[in-house]
Amino acid sequence: MIDRRHLENIDWFLIILLVSISLLGVLIIYSSSHYLPGKYFMRQLLFMGVGLAVLFIFLAVDYKVLVTYSFYFYGFMGLVLIGMLLFNQFTAKESWIKFKYFQVQPSELAKIAIILVLAQMFSEYKRNYVSLSAVWASSGLTAVLFILVALQPDLGTAVSFLPLLLGALTLAGLRRRALVWIFILSILIGLAGWNFYLKDYQKKRLTTVVFPGKDPRGAGYQILQSRIAIGSGGFLGKGYKKGTQSQLRFLPARHTDFVFSVVGEEFGFLGAAAILSLYFLLIARLFSSAAKSRDRTGVYIIFMVGLMFSFQVLVNVAMVVGLFPIVGIPLPLLSYGGSSLLTNFLAVSLVLNVKMRRFVNI
Amino acid sequence: MRVEKNRFYEDLSLILRRAQVVYFVVGGLFLLLLFYFWKVQILDHGKYWALSEANRTRENVITAPRGLITDRNDVILADNAGSFKASFIRENCQDYDRSVKEISRLLEIEETDLRARIAKYESFPLFKPIVVKDNLDLRQVSRIESKKLEFPELVVETDPRRFYPFSALAAHVIGYMQELSPEEIKSEAFRGRNLGDLVGRTGVEKEYDPFLVGVDGKLTEVVDSVGRSRGEVGRVDPSPGQNIRLTLDFDLQQKATQLLEGKEGAIVVMDPRNGEVLALASFPTYDPNKFITRFSPEEWMDLINRADHPLENRSIRGLYSPGSIFKLTVALGGLDSGVITEQTTFYCGGSARFYGRPFACWFAGGHGVQDLPGAIQHSCNVFFYNTGRMLGVERIAQYAKILGLGDKTGIDLPGEKEGLVPTEEWSRSVRKTEWYPGETISVSIGQGPLVVTPLQVAIETALIATRGKRVTPHLLESPAQVKKKEKGISDSPSGEIRPDIFEKVIKGMWRSVNENGTGHFAMVEGFDVCGKTGSTQVIGREKAEKLGRHIKTHSWFTGFAPRDNPQVVVTILVEFGGMGGATAAPLAKELFDLYKKKYD
Repeated sequence: MIDRRHLENIDWFLIILLVSISLLGVLIIYSSSHYLPGKYFMRQLLFMGVGLAVLFIFLAVDYKVLVTYSFYFYGFMGLVLIGMLLFNQFTAKESWIKFKYFQVQPSELAKIAIILVLAQMFSEYKRNYVSLSAVWASSGLTAVLFILVALQPDLGTAVSFLPLLLGALTLAGLRRRALVWIFILSILIGLAGWNFYLKDYQKKRLTTVVFPGKDPRGAGYQILQSRIAIGSGGFLGKGYKKGTQSQLRFLPARHTDFVFSVVGEEFGFLGAAAILSLYFLLIARLFSSAAKSRDRTGVYIIFMVGLMFSFQVLVNVAMVVGLFPIVGIPLPLLSYGGSSLLTNFLAVSLVLNVKMRRFVNI
Repeated sequence: MRVEKNRFYEDLSLILRRAQVVYFVVGGLFLLLLFYFWKVQILDHGKYWALSEANRTRENVITAPRGLITDRNDVILADNAGSFKASFIRENCQDYDRSVKEISRLLEIEETDLRARIAKYESFPLFKPIVVKDNLDLRQVSRIESKKLEFPELVVETDPRRFYPFSALAAHVIGYMQELSPEEIKSEAFRGRNLGDLVGRTGVEKEYDPFLVGVDGKLTEVVDSVGRSRGEVGRVDPSPGQNIRLTLDFDLQQKATQLLEGKEGAIVVMDPRNGEVLALASFPTYDPNKFITRFSPEEWMDLINRADHPLENRSIRGLYSPGSIFKLTVALGGLDSGVITEQTTFYCGGSARFYGRPFACWFAGGHGVQDLPGAIQHSCNVFFYNTGRMLGVERIAQYAKILGLGDKTGIDLPGEKEGLVPTEEWSRSVRKTEWYPGETISVSIGQGPLVVTPLQVAIETALIATRGKRVTPHLLESPAQVKKKEKGISDSPSGEIRPDIFEKVIKGMWRSVNENGTGHFAMVEGFDVCGKTGSTQVIGREKAEKLGRHIKTHSWFTGFAPRDNPQVVVTILVEFGGMGGATAAPLAKELFDLYKKKYD
């Protein structure tokens, strides 16, 4: 299944980027949690190791095979999520399954399932524009997992499924009319969600993006503290482990969702711009890999992985600086969290997989 | 990303182009984010830097101890004692309602009281601590400290608290303290004061408040998000207020207070040479320690509502008819204006008719023929009826003013009253009736609309004692220490009345005390006390007789000693004390005695 030619075509630059950003993450996690029990940076290093191992193991399997069995994976994820909803007494938090030594967030891995399943759906889709039935089918597939995850409730992860679907449909070809429909539909869903689904605290989070000063001790607190952290960093930052906002714990979720605020505070604009550039380099590398795909399936996979990274980076960074509601989307690779890190390594593994098998076997 | 066509593979150019568009959009969004970070981190850096500093540092006020107040021999009359107060910081509340509920339980105060207390300071910034309980005992302090992490909104601070070691002694002079109102804190006059600061409301505490109050210090410490201190980064030590030494003499003040015990009245002891007030007592009195709190205790309400007005300083705010004391004024006026001389005599038959109406002398049997010293000695009404009638009310008023009646004395205490010296003009413009000639006769013996304060009487006595040298009474030992009073102390004789005229009146005062006159109970062996008694009718005698009851009069005594080279003036008023010679004069004797023992 794997031969020397494939090994020669592994994109080592991509792996180096992936590992360096993750290592920077470990450094920042150390800065923001070294005074807490739990040794988060050590655990993150461990996750990285596991992630790398999984990355290489999955390279051994042709992505075509993975895509062929994607519906089984999708089905499995669906059952797990349903099971979590039914037996949430076994779960630690709503979106986690707790094992003896670690816990898993299946909703993160569901992203991979969606990528594979959508790639499978559109792999033989050669029309210039997507048909209505294909829109319904792909939307339906995504919606099932979306609803299951949103019910956990983990709106942040559920929302990050949407760019995958939208990306796939864009590639398949959306007419203007369809775009208008999607627009109208999303507004309707938004209204319905506001009135029937969103909890009060979530509504507050949305309103505080517009008025962060309104409730400085409540919903606005996190946004305000995060902006203070970033803004007070200035050009060069306060120095590693010298950020008062993070070290004195004014900053919420410092090593998870708000890890980028620590970057902004301790390394300043220079650090923030450098990390953003690294991300952009990673994303550019991912997108440019699409052209190296030998088939449609590969393009879809690479494109969706690139979009997944782009969406999460953009939303998370916009969120910590107060441009986007706090939706609980972690910063890929930098935020502490095993499931998220594993999912991202797996996603990159898929891209590598497509890239190294770009030549048709003769 | 290059879009390339390859004939070996399927044509993917369309979807690759679409992917490229999305890629550009993502790139654009990255750029926009970068610009926004530029704005937040570079352009708005100053603002967020300040916010992060404010976040991590906390400024605690270190209350400056108030200046001490001592008597002339450095006996401490107003001291500071350590105490603790608990303050509520609204900004640190996570859940206001829950917090108020639990804190009211923790501090053992009614929830409604706590809410009202916080509501009072609603208009102040949220980070300002609101004192919600003071005078905490150690048990309460440790209870609050143990819950520190649960209630970052509740802080305990030390609070140097006023303490009056002799409680009620000189309470009216020293005054008491109360909390500044929210309006006052906002006003220019109390710039720099903090929420919950106490301020002198009466007495010296009020008069010299700007000097007694120190400059609060500031402790800046680094705190984390739950308000735990992580070390000190700056400290400005408080500078305590200035100590103030009063002219009061602790022993005389204590004696004066003891003498008034159980009575209602006032005593002034002062040095006629320089205006130094040695004792200023008013009774009933109160214990100012009882309401050194920001909260109105029941004691306070009781004091306000009591019929005998213990909060009033009778020596400067009590208005009384001077009665026979006023005969000194009429005598001086008569001599100075020339309507009488030392040789002038009048016959006293127990009463005299003026304007068709009889005016009685206090001695129904009559004093017979009286000259001036004799009339002062025996306090003969008829002599002064005649003198007053000849002077007329206008000239009586003129001399009363010269002698310091009807005007504030200028003592360094707030709230002094002027009294009233009636004139025809006053009658017309204020009272809206004509002045009746018969009233002049009443005024001649210190009755009628005429009212004075005990301090005014003491000042007049001092003026007589020094043969015309005018002094302003003061409590601060050296006004230069704090500020020059506008009036200042003039050392020169006023020159309005010749010294030899004073001498003639003083002769009568000496005889009153030393030759079996009305003031003989004030006699002190070897101290040459000169004095004058007074008994003021509270209601008209006819009316009292009609009521068939014995209504006691207010008792006065005022005097000085020794006759030559006078050192001390004593003025005593006892409300409803009966005859001045019987009630007030013996009290004066005790004070003269004590003064003589201590200073002579």
